[in-house]
Amino acid sequence: MIFIAAFLLSLSALTFEVLLTRIFSITQWNHLSFMVISIALFGFAASGTFLNILNTRQKDWGARFTTADWIKAVVILYSVSAIAAFIVLNQLPLDYFRLPLEPVQTLYLLIAYLLLALPFFFTGLIVAVAYAYIPEKTGLVYCASMAGSACGAILPIALLPLFGEGRLVIFTSLIPLIIVFWPEPEPAAKHIATASIFRKKRFVMQASGLGIFMIAGLIILAAGSLIQIKPSPYKAVSQMLQFPDTRITATTAGIRGRIDSVKSPYIRSAPGLSLKYTNTLPSQWVTLKDGDEPFVFYNLLHPAQERFASFTLPYAGYLLAPDPENILLIQHGGGGLSIPCAMAADAAEITIVQEHPQIARLIRDHYRVSVANQHPRTFLARSDKHFRIIHVESWGTSLPGSAALAQEYLFTIEAFTQYLSHLKEDGILIIARKLLLPPADSIRMWATAYESLRSIGIEKTGHHIAMLRNWSTFTLIVSVQPLSDNKVLKEFARNRNFDLVYLQGLASSEANRFNIFEAPFHFLEINRLAEAYRLGAAKDYFKTYPLDVAPQTDSRPFPGRFLKWLQLKALYKITGSRFYSLFMSGEIVIAVVFVEALVVAALLLVLPLITIGKKSSKPSFANILYFLAVGAGFMFIELFFIKKYIFVFGDPVVSFTVVLAGILASSGLGGYWSQRIDPGSLRVALTALIAVLALVFLGLDLLIHRIIGLSIIMRYLIAMLLLVPAGFLAGLPFPLGMRYLLKSPSERAYAWAANGCASVLASIAAAQIALTFGISTIVVCGAAAYLLAFVSVKKIATG
Amino acid sequence: MKRSFLTVLIFILCPVLFISARPGDTPKYRKARKKMVDYQIRMRGISNQKILSAMTAVPRHLFVPAELVNQAYDDHPLPIGQGQTISQPYIVALMTENLQIKGDERVLEVGTGSGYQSAILAKVAKEVYTIEIKEKLFEKADKLLQSIGFNNVQIRHGDGYFGWAEAAPFDCIMLTAAIDHIPPPLLKQLKDRGRLILPLGNPFSYQNLSLVTKNKEDYSLRQITGVLFVPMTGHALSPNLSSKTSRKDFP
Repeated sequence: MIFIAAFLLSLSALTFEVLLTRIFSITQWNHLSFMVISIALFGFAASGTFLNILNTRQKDWGARFTTADWIKAVVILYSVSAIAAFIVLNQLPLDYFRLPLEPVQTLYLLIAYLLLALPFFFTGLIVAVAYAYIPEKTGLVYCASMAGSACGAILPIALLPLFGEGRLVIFTSLIPLIIVFWPEPEPAAKHIATASIFRKKRFVMQASGLGIFMIAGLIILAAGSLIQIKPSPYKAVSQMLQFPDTRITATTAGIRGRIDSVKSPYIRSAPGLSLKYTNTLPSQWVTLKDGDEPFVFYNLLHPAQERFASFTLPYAGYLLAPDPENILLIQHGGGGLSIPCAMAADAAEITIVQEHPQIARLIRDHYRVSVANQHPRTFLARSDKHFRIIHVESWGTSLPGSAALAQEYLFTIEAFTQYLSHLKEDGILIIARKLLLPPADSIRMWATAYESLRSIGIEKTGHHIAMLRNWSTFTLIVSVQPLSDNKVLKEFARNRNFDLVYLQGLASSEANRFNIFEAPFHFLEINRLAEAYRLGAAKDYFKTYPLDVAPQTDSRPFPGRFLKWLQLKALYKITGSRFYSLFMSGEIVIAVVFVEALVVAALLLVLPLITIGKKSSKPSFANILYFLAVGAGFMFIELFFIKKYIFVFGDPVVSFTVVLAGILASSGLGGYWSQRIDPGSLRVALTALIAVLALVFLGLDLLIHRIIGLSIIMRYLIAMLLLVPAGFLAGLPFPLGMRYLLKSPSERAYAWAANGCASVLASIAAAQIALTFGISTIVVCGAAAYLLAFVSVKKIATG
Repeated sequence: MKRSFLTVLIFILCPVLFISARPGDTPKYRKARKKMVDYQIRMRGISNQKILSAMTAVPRHLFVPAELVNQAYDDHPLPIGQGQTISQPYIVALMTENLQIKGDERVLEVGTGSGYQSAILAKVAKEVYTIEIKEKLFEKADKLLQSIGFNNVQIRHGDGYFGWAEAAPFDCIMLTAAIDHIPPPLLKQLKDRGRLILPLGNPFSYQNLSLVTKNKEDYSLRQITGVLFVPMTGHALSPNLSSKTSRKDFP
């Protein structure tokens, strides 16, 4: 029974984890959703610590805890805690941004953290007991747990659109309760008293199970508001709903995000609109992904209603390519303005690339234009068509800094090079973004354009780039041919009251005329960078600038990340000495969560060592090191593939699901196979794993760039296959170590806790490693962790 | 005769009773106000004498809730109910100074709130038109401004997004709530050489205090400093809301 329980609990817990990631993405921000991984792993680690402490008081806990009654009781506790934790989280007035101002928010955060860790604690308890007390079958326990987790990773893909986030949490929390109704043979008739107790216990268990089912049913049917997921009040949808006569007309849940359609007579969006436009904007409605990144649909009933688009900043690019025969519009992270721009330009053919299937369908229905539902990089890799205009529109989230961890492949040097290679000879690339002060994104985009132009052999690079701005947005224009007619852009800027930021031969007086800052900061900085490039000193420029504005590459694709840790003090000063402006950075959140995790991990690991008596066997330092290294190594591998596969699938949640399912299933197989391996094979397995990781480090990028142009099925298939060698081999060290390196149940429980703690810390550290050193460094850290495990084993073998 | 005498008596006594219910302008408050002007405003670079005099004269403590009177002259904003705030004294002075009011201007204020900013504007400009969306705040500010004797202020309960078309054009417009775009109706109601000041940016985050200047057909926008204002409420966007105007007899 314990294997079935481990399977079902792992399945349910992983679905709960994936759903919490979705819920955090809606109620808070994406960069907080990774906190869920640490909550889950802490729950697991705490179960190991709990068993260790218990071992000091009750030596016979193992015999008691492997009984069917105990397993059923834990399963009931799991279901109750999962449902309760979710409902409390949903009702808690937790406001992450008020944390530095309201001490009570720390209490809310703590309550949320502890309650959410409970279901994982109960799951971990069953798995840890199985490891500790059935050491001869650690491979099978590992297999059951990993296979359950793999199924749990896939489940939300199919069920989310049917149930929605709230109901699915309740539904999947009930799955392990099957165990409670699992038929068991009654004790022999001669033991009448035993049989009576058995029946009574069974009745209590089954009645409790039924009770939970009924309460869950009542919550879903009668108290829907308890499980309704409400977006953060800072998100665009919450702001819009404050308008009168505004309502959500449709909501679709899905693994790639919740899409809300909002209709209101008061939505007036036109980013980059000139102050000279004083007419009425066309009526609009929007769709929002996870409550933010509004995508605007304009009701363009007649051509005159497209006129407003010619008053927007990105339209500058369209003036340089009059009467375009074809236009490619790349939509990412909110937008919609580029469509009326393309229509106002009277394009003969408009192609739109939109990666979200729901939004793609809505665009197709609303505008009756051709929409490719693919990631733009995949679309371009598979297309040999050339366009007169490529317009990339990405306004991002409504809070600057919250996108610091967002991994995006549309603004890397490789992406720009791909755009340029799909332009006609006289083609124009338009990039429209929000304007930040101090200048950051604009410098990075300019540098990215510069380096991509240089990479395709263009010498007088500066002649191919122009940039304009208003008070809140900027538009970057890049061309394959030199921009010969500067007069057009200058006149457009003058007539529409926009400012030029970069143009060959631009005077400082033209850079700060209408949208006036204390100084023409953007103009000055970009010209300083242009000069640095001319002198070959660009590296020095990027080193000394207070923000990280260096162009991003596919191996470090974080266009929304600007923080430099060593310049934190200077940044605090130049952003007006406001603590909250720093606190909005996703990167700061990583640091805060890492410190928190470090403290809790230390507590979970030190507590059992203090409580274990002198007579009890303590795990050796080498053993602790081994399980810490194996836990960290596994997590590094998992996160490396998740981050790499975002490029393949164009979506972090899809990547997360594919990798989790693939890695966990293949690790489960590894665990199963480990049953047949002798102790001597442990070092061989570790060596093979390190070798595979080295190959992955050297070859994965090459393979990924080759499979990006393949069909979706082939991409899924090859991506899954690529996971198998590393996943299978990574499934060996833990069960083998449990079986051969440890002697007592308490040692195994401690190893389980150490493994969980290391996984938590590695999961948080991996995010920072990717930001600072690039994604590939994560796999190097994984290999290093397994090397450490190898050394620890050697020490044990020789010592 | 008796009845009309009583009516007149009540009419005269009401404002007196209203004021007497609040703390009067004692030397303690006058001292606090002088200190506020000297240390929070003048020392931060506000040098317009008319504004400094206005802020020395207007009893700010009358505009804050009774329980916060002791903090009225402190260097921070205060809540006034209905989810709104009275701005930090320095921000009131800074916004007023940036409008470059000489004395004979017609000013539109969107977001009356407590009425304190309207009072300061009334001291330095010729005519002030102010709109408040929250009915309770409107009524409170209306009574208070009348009781103190600001006869050059016309106050309306309604939607500020669409401005005050009947009284347009204005020399200056001030928005005292955060908004992420400049309402085109307000730009239309601005005179040539007119100035519009507003906290521009994400209403639920921080904004930039921005000054828009109209110059014949062109507009220029200058960002002054980072600020944190409460958002312009959703209802401020409704064109159909009924509006009440006080003191219709305003010349």
